[in-house]
Amino acid sequence: MSEDRATVTIEVDGREIQAKAGDMLINVTDAAGIPIPRFCYHKKLSVAANCRMCLVEVENVPKPLPACATPVNDGMKVYTRSPKAIAAQKGTMEFLLINHPLDCPICDQGGECELQDVAMGYGGDVSRFVEAKRVVPNPDLGPLVSTDMTRCIHCTRCVRFGAEIAGIRELGATGRGEHMRIGTYVEHALNSELSGNIIDVCPVGALTSKPFRFRARAWELTQFDGIAPHDAVGANIHLHVQNGKVMRVVPKENEAINETWISDRDRFSYEGLYSSDRLMQPMLKDNGAWREVEWEEALEAAVNGLRAAMGSDSAQFGTLIAPTSTVEELYLAQKLTRGLGSGNIDHRLRQTDFRSLGDHPPFPWLNGAIADLEDVDAALVIGSHTRKEQPLLAHRLRKAALKGAYVALLNPFEVPLSHDAEQIAVSPASMVAELAAIAKAAGVKATGDLKKRIDGAKPDDRHKAIAQRLRDAGHGRILLGNLAAAHPDYVLLQALASELAQTVGAGLGYLPVAANSVGAAIAGAEAGRLPGWKRTDAAALDAGAMLEKGLRTYLIAGIDPELDCANPAGAVATLAGAECVVALTAYRTPTLEQVADVMLPMALFAETSGTYVNGEGTWQGARGVVAPVGKARPAWKILRVLGNLLGLEGFDYESADAVRSELEAECEGFEPAAGEIELGDAALMLQNDGLVRAGDVPIYAADTLVRRAGALQHTPDATTGFVSLNPTEAARAGLADAREVRVTQGENSVTLPLEIDPAVPDGCVRIPAGVPGSAGLGVPFGAVGLEKG
Amino acid sequence: MSSALQERDKDGLFSPEVREEIDAWIAKYPPEWKQSAVMAALRIVQDANGGWLTTELMNDVAAYLDMPPIAVYEVATFYSMYELKPVGRHKICVCTNVSCMINGSDKIVEHLEKRLGIRLGETTEDGKFTLKEVECLGACGGAPMFQIGKQYYENLTPEIVDSILDGLE
Amino acid sequence: MNALRNYIKSLFLLELFKGMSVTGRYLFRRKFTVQYPEEKAPVSPRFRGLHAQRRYPNGEERCIACKLCEATCPALAITIEAAPREDGQRRTTRYDIDLFKCIYCGFCEESCPVDAIVETRIYEYHFENREDAVMTKDKLLAVGDKYEAQIAADRAAQAPYR
Repeated sequence: MSEDRATVTIEVDGREIQAKAGDMLINVTDAAGIPIPRFCYHKKLSVAANCRMCLVEVENVPKPLPACATPVNDGMKVYTRSPKAIAAQKGTMEFLLINHPLDCPICDQGGECELQDVAMGYGGDVSRFVEAKRVVPNPDLGPLVSTDMTRCIHCTRCVRFGAEIAGIRELGATGRGEHMRIGTYVEHALNSELSGNIIDVCPVGALTSKPFRFRARAWELTQFDGIAPHDAVGANIHLHVQNGKVMRVVPKENEAINETWISDRDRFSYEGLYSSDRLMQPMLKDNGAWREVEWEEALEAAVNGLRAAMGSDSAQFGTLIAPTSTVEELYLAQKLTRGLGSGNIDHRLRQTDFRSLGDHPPFPWLNGAIADLEDVDAALVIGSHTRKEQPLLAHRLRKAALKGAYVALLNPFEVPLSHDAEQIAVSPASMVAELAAIAKAAGVKATGDLKKRIDGAKPDDRHKAIAQRLRDAGHGRILLGNLAAAHPDYVLLQALASELAQTVGAGLGYLPVAANSVGAAIAGAEAGRLPGWKRTDAAALDAGAMLEKGLRTYLIAGIDPELDCANPAGAVATLAGAECVVALTAYRTPTLEQVADVMLPMALFAETSGTYVNGEGTWQGARGVVAPVGKARPAWKILRVLGNLLGLEGFDYESADAVRSELEAECEGFEPAAGEIELGDAALMLQNDGLVRAGDVPIYAADTLVRRAGALQHTPDATTGFVSLNPTEAARAGLADAREVRVTQGENSVTLPLEIDPAVPDGCVRIPAGVPGSAGLGVPFGAVGLEKG
Repeated sequence: MSSALQERDKDGLFSPEVREEIDAWIAKYPPEWKQSAVMAALRIVQDANGGWLTTELMNDVAAYLDMPPIAVYEVATFYSMYELKPVGRHKICVCTNVSCMINGSDKIVEHLEKRLGIRLGETTEDGKFTLKEVECLGACGGAPMFQIGKQYYENLTPEIVDSILDGLE
Repeated sequence: MNALRNYIKSLFLLELFKGMSVTGRYLFRRKFTVQYPEEKAPVSPRFRGLHAQRRYPNGEERCIACKLCEATCPALAITIEAAPREDGQRRTTRYDIDLFKCIYCGFCEESCPVDAIVETRIYEYHFENREDAVMTKDKLLAVGDKYEAQIAADRAAQAPYR
């Protein structure tokens, strides 16, 4: 689009500037560093030109023109500081201030307010307006955004953000003239997972952060860079710190990663740092009773416990580490585990299908840059609640869809999207068959078990359309999401997706489960993989096997076993039966008290230095910017000391950087290869005619930190667990008028509230995983029985 | 959830006559600009509902035209001919814009308020009259004027107003 | 010549008598000395003494936790923590002035948009512990409550010059 536009020369305040014809004047002056005041203009939003603050004088034009809506022409002469321009800007400013309250002292935006700044430059000393100012009641927009609508200057940035970026138009300008107001009209909490960004786009204090409300002033905060540790984007953030506490998080611009946005999860999860159940001091279990001890004693007990329980059989030791840990932690954890002679280390805690994909499977990453996602022509997403799983990747996909890309989703339930898409929602037991049908429609030639699946498939028009669109696409992408990764037939889904991708000439990518899933794979914190994603044939148990088999000793790091493991009930039972469990944890929970023998308090994001590798493979380092609470220590330091105390070689690092350098050296020459899948045993595991559970992880249950973020846990997206069925299935199960349901999965059963949701297909019952309500159940996908609770 | 909302069964919305009337308006615009019919649709629905719009009706219009509900609220709150509260059987829209004001609309308003015992924007207790102040209705030649229902009444004096009101059911 | 003059001056103790005459004159003049603490010197309404926090006549504290005083304080003597009160209003949860750090410049009072923090005429105060030198919010409000009449009168007297 921009390539074939002519270059023109314009003159701004006597300075000659080259620009592309058709660019808006304000873009050109911004690029040249010439300041023009503005409120409604935002570079990522459409031009509204309704605030009139950017009026400038253009030669031979009788009236001042808004720079944000004036395309540049060759030879145009612009004056931004001429008497006419300044008079226009001052006039606008006076009008804007007519109804703006003079409450800067109690306004959270005070000190970082665009209106305040511009008023310093263009405002009068005294208001000439003596009539009554308007007062607007404040709508309640939920637990994240607080409103003071009297301060609103009607720039409509928030409205445009909702319509254009978040994709859900929830805010609007109702009424007219003096009575116009921004709001939802029918009061409700915002539903978007990107809603926090309206706080940033609001140029005044009308929309501010609710958890941060009245806590601190802009000038008291020290700004540090950070990386958001919740999804595979690794959004660049600024941490605002006061008195050694993270007070809030705002986005840091990085066009390639997160543009100017961050998800609500990235923005408000910091509250979890100061949750009341943070573990402040090392703790030791003595005859069943927990007592607080000093670090020396705790470390000694941990080492002795591990040694005694393991004895000479190192295969009885296993490490389970959260995929949200830093690369340094993951690397040291695998080094420690392997140093003890065990290959049992894994980060794929929510995965249930670990069958072999052959010797050279594809590297589990996005397979391309994040920004490339907006240029795809066709995408097939398998098993992902995209918006709630990967909010910013979903935004990129949405941009592609708005540009005309074809997006199809194959999920165990229909997911709410903010763009047009072909959605296939089937019971989890049919997902493989559906994918096989698409593959058959695309003409995939396969052998062995896969051939059986494809031959048995019956493609209909929808499958054929998806195959056709993928084939026609110049830039096609097939993406496997979290719901696929947790599926009992994950290898089949991967194999089919891979064959399909090759046949239609699309790229195969993964939407990594957590912030550092890719980093964990590179760091070797995976059974059968050494640092640098090098294969090893040494005996190793994966996360599933470790918890199924039951080892004598475990090291667990950064996880809540009852919420972070694929089979929560099984995991807790196994850990409880182990002889020694050493837990590196930031939180003291009843489950850990039950299963662990030593709890070592670890630092969380923002408290520890570390690196995250995002979905596109970018290594992003972050510094620890606040001291860990209590006696907590960065996990890489704890692992280092444990290594030393266990008498292992090479644990003498002086900094996290040294750990990273060592890993980088080991990763020399590593290239994420497309790979090739050779299926071994590939029988269909999930075959069920009855009701099958689909367990997605809700957005605010994804990891230990976000589960404890107070405000997020009060949003409509937060849940402690529910059962949802479509009306037909509910009637069939005799639950049409039930409010609570008793769910039985294997030997486990729990009672949960029932929700009727037509988005769930026949044969499927949606019961979220990773939430307290379903912690008593087994794996996220499997047969379940329902009865009235 | 939102997708399920968008998928609402459109045949279940409104009465067949109302649907037919709205469809006629939708047909006037290109298919991708279905929402252009929002003003007509609101007017039709309002007339069918005794002269005012409930939030539920606006949601129905939004669903029928595949628009976000807030976009319909914006239109309905912007234009003064849409009523968001119940109105009387006769809605008296008095113009108080410049021409009418110069020609004595103040007196007309004062007279109406006194006669009906209500203020601008209110409805009489018996639900017969609603008094409303509106901007220019484009009948400056006959200022001062008001509109009752779909009828314009021009060159008003308190006496003429009385005779008009007396003649209404 | 000079030497001779100096010799005569010192011989007749001229300088001494000159000095004694000043002493003698003041011996019989009206006395200025204030017999503190029995007597007290007059204090200007602009006097910058001990700090106080004021309330509105309805009993509501004035301070809105805008933190301008904290920002302007050149000695970093003020520490404020804020949070929404139960009714949603912006209020301080902590407001401390360290009197050892304070240089009584009065900038806090100047910066206050609601006349909440003021410096009173009080200059007679003492501490028995180091900790007592920190004026907490409660103490500041107590001072304000006790001397509100005088504080208000002083602000009124100054008003024409502000």
